[in-house]
Amino acid sequence: MKFLCVDCDQAMALTETRGPDNGSLTVVFRCPQCHRKIAMLTNSMETQMVHSLGVSIGGRDSKVPPMETIQSSLVGYDDAGDTNESRNDGGQSSTGCPFSATVAESGAAPLTDVLEWTPEAENRMSRIPSFVRSMVQKGVEDYARNQGETTVDVEMLEAVRKNFGM
Amino acid sequence: MKTYHDIATDGGSDVAGQVRAQEARLHSRLADVGHIVAVMSGKGGVGKSAVTVLLATALARSGIRTGIVDADINGASIVEMTGVGRKPDRTSKGVIPAVSAEGVQIMSIDLFLDRGTPVEWNAVTQKSAFTWRAMVEVAAIREMLADTLWGPLDILFVDLPPGTDRLPNLLDLVPELSVAIVVTIPSRASRYVVEKSILLARPHLGDAPIGIVENMSEFVCNSCGEVHEMFPGSEGVDFEQDAHLTILGRIPFDPELSKRIDSGKNYLGSGTSKSSGGVGVFSAEAAIQSIAENLNRLLASRTIPAPTMEEVR
Repeated sequence: MKFLCVDCDQAMALTETRGPDNGSLTVVFRCPQCHRKIAMLTNSMETQMVHSLGVSIGGRDSKVPPMETIQSSLVGYDDAGDTNESRNDGGQSSTGCPFSATVAESGAAPLTDVLEWTPEAENRMSRIPSFVRSMVQKGVEDYARNQGETTVDVEMLEAVRKNFGM
Repeated sequence: MKTYHDIATDGGSDVAGQVRAQEARLHSRLADVGHIVAVMSGKGGVGKSAVTVLLATALARSGIRTGIVDADINGASIVEMTGVGRKPDRTSKGVIPAVSAEGVQIMSIDLFLDRGTPVEWNAVTQKSAFTWRAMVEVAAIREMLADTLWGPLDILFVDLPPGTDRLPNLLDLVPELSVAIVVTIPSRASRYVVEKSILLARPHLGDAPIGIVENMSEFVCNSCGEVHEMFPGSEGVDFEQDAHLTILGRIPFDPELSKRIDSGKNYLGSGTSKSSGGVGVFSAEAAIQSIAENLNRLLASRTIPAPTMEEVR
C-alpha cells in the first residue's frame, strides 16, 4: 500500500506508527513536499491481516525470532521447549498481545529518521529493475543517514553510485 | 496523477521488503533439502497422512534422510501417528524437529500444543476471522518450513490438508517441488475430486510429475483368504496417462497396519496380512516398499537426484 499526496502528486512517507490499541493501528504518512499528514486507521480485522503476514509496518531492526507467528498467535502455545535465549528473542508472547509485532518496535519513528525522496530521485529509482530496487533503496538510505542527510535527491543517488563504483 | 507503479518506494512501510526477507529465509533453510514432495488428496479421509508417514518411514529405514511437515494445521495427525514427543526445543536459530523411532524428522503445529488441544488463533475478535485465518495458517506453514532446523535432508514430505486449492498455496511458498503425490481411494467420489485437484495443480507444477497412490485398494479376509473390494463396483486407478502422471502403486487395506499407525507404534515389519493386488500376492507393507522405490526412481529422474535404495544400502 502506498499513499499519494494528490495536491503535490508526491508519494507520502511513513512518519509514525502507533498502537495497536484495542486491535487498531495508527500509521501516519506525511507528504515530503507540503508536509500534510494523514493517518491510516485500521480495524481489528485489517490489523489481524497485517499480523497474519508476519510483518511489522515500518520495518524492524531486530532479528525475527523463529516461529514468531505460531508463538505469538497460537492459543495454548506451550513454550516448555524454549530456551531462555529464544524466549528473549521472541518476547512477543509474553505480552499476551496478538498484534505486538505488527508495528515497528519503536512505536513512533523519529521524524529525523524519515528520509524524503525528491520526485526526480523517485523517478530515477523507478528505472532500476524491481528485483534489486529494494536493495539499492536500502543502500541509498543507509548512505544518506550516515551522511546526516534527510532528503534523497538525484545528487545523492549520483554520490552513492560513485561511492560504490557503479 | 501518479499511479501505484509510478512510485518506487513504499514510503517506509517495508511490508514488501519483509515478505521478500521471509522468502529468502525459507529458501536458505531449504537449500540443504534434496527434494520437496507434496502429498495431497483433494478428498478427505483417504489416508493421506498415513501414506505420508509410511513412505517416509520406509525410505528412512533404507537410510534416506526424510522429514515431514504436517501442513494440515487443523487436522494435524502426524504426531499421533508417529508417537513422537511434544514441546520441541527452540533456539534463537530455529526449532529442533521431533524425530520418530525410525529417524523421520517431524514438524507439526501439534508439537506446540498439549495433546488434544485444537488450533485456535489469538485475535481481538474472532468475528470475520475468515478474512485472515487462511493467511495465518499459510504463515504457520511457512514458519514450519523455514524455522525448523532440518539440516541436510534427502526428501522433505509436506502433508497437505484436503482441498483442491492446497497445492497452489504451497507452491507459492517452496522454491521447487520435485513430485506431487496424490492419494486416492477406489471410490467414484474420491476419483471425481482427485481429478479436479490434478486439473487445478497441473498448471502450477511445471515439469514436476504427479504420482498417484491408491489407498485401501482391496481387503483380504484373514479368515477365508478371499479378496474383497473395499468399494464394490468402483473403477480403481485408471487416470488418463500422460507424461507427467505416474501410478506409484496401490495399498491394500490392512487392519493390523491401521491399528499400529493409530497407536503410533512401529508400523512396518509387523507381519501384516496378505492381499492380492492383481499382480500376485503381496502385503500392504510390500506395497508401501514398492511405492517408496517407485517414488525414489521418480525423484532420481529429477534434476537433483536423491540416493537410490541400492546406493544407501
